Amino acid sequence: MKDKMTIILFSGELDKAIAAFTLATTAAASGMEVTIFFTFWGLNILKKTRFTITKSQNILQKIFNFMSTATLPITKLNMFGMGPWMMRKLMKKSNMASLEDLMKLARELNVKYIACTTSCGVLGLSKENLAGEVDEFAGASTYLAEAKDSKINLFI
Amino acid sequence: MNSNKTLDCIGLFCPMPIVKTKQELAKMKSGEVLEILADDPGFEKDLPAWCNMTGEKFLGLEKEGKILKGYVMKK
Repeated sequence: MKDKMTIILFSGELDKAIAAFTLATTAAASGMEVTIFFTFWGLNILKKTRFTITKSQNILQKIFNFMSTATLPITKLNMFGMGPWMMRKLMKKSNMASLEDLMKLARELNVKYIACTTSCGVLGLSKENLAGEVDEFAGASTYLAEAKDSKINLFI
Repeated sequence: MNSNKTLDCIGLFCPMPIVKTKQELAKMKSGEVLEILADDPGFEKDLPAWCNMTGEKFLGLEKEGKILKGYVMKK
């Protein structure tokens, strides 16, 4: 049986997402079976459009999705968006793989995506709002079942 | 060292050299040797560690200035 790695991607920041996907792609390239469970702010990474405001959302959900978008901030020196812009530029200049590159690679290497249905429900997000790569929509039990026999488990 | 193929990863950072090595080896036949060129200093430790995990045979690493040349034989 293949070794397994599970990651809970709770944060919605660019730098944390890059760390998560760097490890996920490396593990997958090392022959591990990798599952990423996206919950809370981590769902922002999967949003298809910058603002995911839909008719079915209530006013609070609309406000949340207006303030917390697919344009990811960074954990330090965000400076109202200047930080992420600078970081992306720096990374491009030094020829480092971008989050988009890493996410594309993750798919090629069969990294499995699970989106947390509870977070989706709270934030008023549906399947249509998230990238088509999500393999499963599930809850804590599904995650725990995956994590139970995984050797590496990270909360990012 | 003799190799069947060379993979150029110069200018790339972790995890790209390892991921590319994996993808390149997947296209090769058992017993063939892949040479990987890289300049990410972490690659020196990462390549043998990766081989250890995957069971691919690590044949060695040569340094030429800042360039690392890694050799892996496909299992």
